[in-house]
Amino acid sequence: MVTEIVMPRLGWTMEEGVLVEWLKNDGDTVKVGDLIFTVESDKALNEVEAFENGILHIPPDAPPPGTTIPVGGLLAYLVQPGEALPSQKSTSLASPKMAEQPSAVATSAFQSASKSNGLPAISPRARRIAHELGIEWTALTGSGRSGRIVERDVRAALQSQPSAPISTPEPQLVEISPVARRAAEELGVDLASLSAKMSGKRITREDVERAAEFRAPVSTSADEKRIPVSRIRSVIAERMSASAHTTAPVTLTTEVDATELVKLRKQLKGDSSANTRPVPSYNDLLAKLCAVALEEHPMLNARLDGDEIVMSGAAHIGFAVDTERGLLVPVIRDVGSKSLRQIAAESSVLAENARSGTLKSDVASTFTITNLGMYEIDVFTPIINLPECAILGVGRIQAKQVVIDADAEKVAIRHMMFLSLTFDHRLVDGAPAARFLQRIKQFIEQPYLWLIG
Amino acid sequence: MSEEIAKEQALTLWRQMLMIRRTEEQLAKSYAGGMIPGACHTYVGEEAVATGVCAHLRHEDAVFSTHRGHGHALAKGVPPREVIAELFGRVTGCSRGRGGSMHLFSPEVGMMGTSGIVGPCILQATGAGYSFKLLGKDNVGVAFFGDGAMNNGAFHEGLNLAAIWDLPVIFVCEDNMYATEVPFAYATKNQDVAARARTYGMPGYSLDGNDVLAVSQAASEAIQRARSGGGPSLLHCKTYRTRPHAEGMRDAGYRTPQEVESWKQRDPIVTLKAKLLAQNLAEEGDFEEIESDIKAMVDEAAEFAKNSPYPDPATATEHIFSV
Amino acid sequence: MMREITYTTAAREALAEEMARDPSIFVVGEGIGVRGGNFNTTQGLYELYGPMRLRDTPIVERGFVGMCTGAAMTGSRPVVDFMFFDFILDSFGELFNQTSKMQYMSSGRLKMPIVLRGCIGIGGSSATHHSGSYYPIFVHIPGFRVVMPTNPYDAKGLFKTALRGDDPVLFLEHKSLLNVKGHVPEEDYSIPFGQAAIVREGTQATVVALGSMVRLVEKASETLANEGISIEIIDPRTLAPLDIDTILQSVHKTGRLLIVDETFAPCGVGSEISSQVMEKGFDDLDAPVMRLNGLHTPTPYSPALEAAVVPNAQTILQSIRDLLAE
Repeated sequence: MVTEIVMPRLGWTMEEGVLVEWLKNDGDTVKVGDLIFTVESDKALNEVEAFENGILHIPPDAPPPGTTIPVGGLLAYLVQPGEALPSQKSTSLASPKMAEQPSAVATSAFQSASKSNGLPAISPRARRIAHELGIEWTALTGSGRSGRIVERDVRAALQSQPSAPISTPEPQLVEISPVARRAAEELGVDLASLSAKMSGKRITREDVERAAEFRAPVSTSADEKRIPVSRIRSVIAERMSASAHTTAPVTLTTEVDATELVKLRKQLKGDSSANTRPVPSYNDLLAKLCAVALEEHPMLNARLDGDEIVMSGAAHIGFAVDTERGLLVPVIRDVGSKSLRQIAAESSVLAENARSGTLKSDVASTFTITNLGMYEIDVFTPIINLPECAILGVGRIQAKQVVIDADAEKVAIRHMMFLSLTFDHRLVDGAPAARFLQRIKQFIEQPYLWLIG
Repeated sequence: MSEEIAKEQALTLWRQMLMIRRTEEQLAKSYAGGMIPGACHTYVGEEAVATGVCAHLRHEDAVFSTHRGHGHALAKGVPPREVIAELFGRVTGCSRGRGGSMHLFSPEVGMMGTSGIVGPCILQATGAGYSFKLLGKDNVGVAFFGDGAMNNGAFHEGLNLAAIWDLPVIFVCEDNMYATEVPFAYATKNQDVAARARTYGMPGYSLDGNDVLAVSQAASEAIQRARSGGGPSLLHCKTYRTRPHAEGMRDAGYRTPQEVESWKQRDPIVTLKAKLLAQNLAEEGDFEEIESDIKAMVDEAAEFAKNSPYPDPATATEHIFSV
Repeated sequence: MMREITYTTAAREALAEEMARDPSIFVVGEGIGVRGGNFNTTQGLYELYGPMRLRDTPIVERGFVGMCTGAAMTGSRPVVDFMFFDFILDSFGELFNQTSKMQYMSSGRLKMPIVLRGCIGIGGSSATHHSGSYYPIFVHIPGFRVVMPTNPYDAKGLFKTALRGDDPVLFLEHKSLLNVKGHVPEEDYSIPFGQAAIVREGTQATVVALGSMVRLVEKASETLANEGISIEIIDPRTLAPLDIDTILQSVHKTGRLLIVDETFAPCGVGSEISSQVMEKGFDDLDAPVMRLNGLHTPTPYSPALEAAVVPNAQTILQSIRDLLAE
């Protein structure tokens, strides 16, 4: 039997070796274990032994010493006495490496991108680019293998319709998660207007659902009229529901003898020099005395930020103003540091701006006053203007017969008024809030206490 | 040795043991008072071992310890205030509040860490020995470990490596008879630990771990040999913890009150004092003075720890890498 | 013209040069002394530095890893040569509970300059105890640097950084790369960790390739280039720290991402890259992020089975085509 002598594998990483020299000559008789040639691998010089008995036959076309030969490459034969060489010529210097085996790995199976609402699927990037280019993508056909619209489809659409509706781009880039996109389509929420409100933030499913809630269509009967929710209305709605959902509101009410306050206001109004300058309103007086009371009770002027309480350095007082378009809250900053005249001047400008729609507010209020006295309201439960801690509701001032001295059975006519303080129990407990309201009551009943500054 | 020097050395050992004892008692009290948020394994009863060994160490020698390591840290030179503050979770603790009882680090004095895992200290001390030999220093690595580590692979691997390369390492087995509550006698057929050392080809000493003078004597010899290139040794110190495995744990069911009581009779601090008095090497007044010194030191340490701030939460991910 | 040397030679040069520079470096491992390392990692060094610095060990992976941890804490700079990286598994307790935590637990007062090197990867019918990679596990644990050079130049430059730093570094050499030759300058240089290499620039898809996959992906990209398809190839070079910014920038350009990794998919490096791209580059994606990984199985011996569990040129080509078709 003819045995092939090949380049041996002499280590884990050996792929080829150099035939250095033959230790036996062509035609020598070789026994098992005889060293027959040397090989230089990447590591060392190795002597290679015979695994069979036989006569060494080195064909004339065999690789000469000094040649680099792949592992398994044919070098020579061992033949038995009288045995002929293999009929085929020694073509077998071809790499003996095992034929390459196939791999069974693959990327994970694709999910179909078809959608329940009939609209095509689109990649986040394609959507972004569609909006950048002003392409209406819902009518496009996706070339992704599951039908998804991808970037190239959007760009192709721009090519084929050079006059594509660039004139009607969405107000700003709508960034939206795929699931929110689907929810918007299902709930019929207009993404352009939602996007306008989001100011660059990525729209989530929650945003879409909240938007859908505000305009929840409950019925379609003929006697109903539908009006779109105005921007200001939706802001109010959002803020009010946020307040209702996040705060722990408690409302305290108390009746106050405002006779001294009424006198004060009458004196200020009666001052002839006041004709050319604004006279402080009840709201201005209340703002000022609240600012003094807030200095004494800083927790009522604080806000919650995560797990920290932020104590404001100054009292920025907002006052609720009713306008044609809805409720607005202009802010007088740092009321404590201002004179009543300054407050009066500022508040009249702010109220006017609020009504004319030119209000610009660059400071967040820390406390709010809301006055429903002019509508003959006495007591109510104001909603906290987030992120503030408290809001003071002011009722009407009404002359009443009140007991001045029970023992002496003495009764008098006094100007009485109710105050309703809603505070956030997360920040302040009942007693300190009550003390704050009591202090305001004292200030109203005895104005000199706060007028001295 | 002159009598004066003998007295001086004996009183120094006594002071060190008392400092450990009083610190541990303070920690036990603080644990009960809720000042220690995590685990607390005290060394009460075993003070003679750390004291006797560390008496011969320098700051540059490296100690690797166990979960019951307060005594090793204190004996190696970590001040009580840093140990107490660490257990209180304060930034002034020796590990800056990152470790607690089982991770006391103070490389400045060669305290290379107590550990929550049984065994690794044996390998690390061997590595310190390798470093010192490689860098040509005459320092030693010391591993303290309990009988519970005796059947862990790290014991076999570490002792063998130290022996075949003649590394300057001292292996100190503190055999307190129980791995938590498992008796050494249950876990180990052949309990002659010193004999095991000899099978690895290193000297093994069988010692009364409650006799600080005996431990000190053997440690001195072993450390001297290691420093001068003579290779590793093992000290088998038979001792006993008289408090539970951990503070707040029950201490019944696995050992008898009689057994605990008999070991309290052999308290290393009490017995050394009695011995010194009997030999007229010291007088009652010497001990009283030390007692009041130590009390002041530990009281101050506890007060310091209590008044120390917690670490800044913003630093929670610092020092994972060197840069 | 710049000389060409093999990956193994380049890494060995880095080690030899640093050992000459810093006498506190020593190497431990099985057969790394006189024998010069099963993979020739220390060939010729024993003659230069002797047994204290080229320390043959008994077969005690846990023992010498624990020992080297202690050595690194006390002033020396050990290099642990695992030969086959699979052997590191016996020392996980030491590595995860001790080595990786010492700097943190000592508040940075101890350093941990230890290099853990070994040959990874499937090939040559090495079967399941000599084919492991396991690097995702180390990426998951805080306290390790994970380095995976894919060519001789990177092998030398990254090994230098590993040997000069003070952190535990996993230095992983894929078996199929050891004899690969490449240009390596004679002069000293090092490559900082956390900087990916853009192996090939392209526009239509990004392929992040790990370890031995880089060469296969390069081959696939040439085939695709002939068809006019342009692929960008990124080799992260270090997996911890991971240079996600380079990947994000590329995805911003191409909109498509495939990660090709020989080892297992679940909780792997590809999962991590995919997650981060989803978080930070969502609106850049024009197709789902895809991964091509080896099968989730122990490594079989027979060439037919072994080849079945790893990505090859065909499956890589197919995956890129699939990604482009998405």
